Amino acid sequence: MPTTTATVILSSADLLSDELSLSTTMTLTKTTTSTGIEDTTGLNRKKITSTAKGTASGQVTLYTADDFAAIPYLYIKNLATTAGHRIHVYDDTTSGDPLQFQLDAGDWGFIPMHGDKTYKAYATNDPTSIEFMVMGQDQ
Amino acid sequence: MATTTAAVTLTSDLMSTNMSVSATTTCMKAGTTADGLDQMEYGYVDLPTGDEYDLIATTPTASKASKLYIKNHSTDETYFIAITQNSQAIGKLYGGDWMFIPADFHDAAGDIAITANGGINKICYALFHEGTALVTT
Repeated sequence: MPTTTATVILSSADLLSDELSLSTTMTLTKTTTSTGIEDTTGLNRKKITSTAKGTASGQVTLYTADDFAAIPYLYIKNLATTAGHRIHVYDDTTSGDPLQFQLDAGDWGFIPMHGDKTYKAYATNDPTSIEFMVMGQDQ
Repeated sequence: MATTTAAVTLTSDLMSTNMSVSATTTCMKAGTTADGLDQMEYGYVDLPTGDEYDLIATTPTASKASKLYIKNHSTDETYFIAITQNSQAIGKLYGGDWMFIPADFHDAAGDIAITANGGINKICYALFHEGTALVTT
């Protein structure tokens, strides 16, 4: 059985009067089991050239609804280095395309998704590079 | 300036060659690389089933940066919390799972709400931000 882990470390020496150091590791498993996930899209790197949602082209599809069984795990990173070059991730399945996450230059996110919504990304700057990967159980 | 660092490492033997992806970011105020987020909220709570609760008691200021970390510390792998933002489902954390999201929790509607399923879920969360609208008594 494959073993996939995700570790996060949140740290700061000067945000609080005492040092902040929070670290945790999770093993990515099939829903409600202790069996490891078996599928991934692999790591992707793409250029976003759309500066608005709903336009005909230039957005990047991060995940297509129901492509994986719940729970698919989404990793995303904004590869821009200029502050203010933000990536907006929105739900393309729900009416009104509600925004879900906003990543400024250098930001990353890790989200265990419901899996039933299509996620797309546009950016404030054309082009902006994004790195992303979905891990889970293909169906 | 406060310096808060968020790092992630993903490792797997899913593919024919071992995978290891790492990313680190310094949590900055919106639109700058010179000034870090300087405020935080932190909690460790039991979440009963039956109702939806606001996870963030205050409302981060519009158009400012926020980073939210949540972990479900439940040890029962069938327990989970459903997470919504502005009434839209954004994630589901089973026992042991965590999430980290940079987002714009700009108003009361944009707040984060969570619902426990299966039983009492124990939740740890941290919100790093640059300003909130405090709730008056």
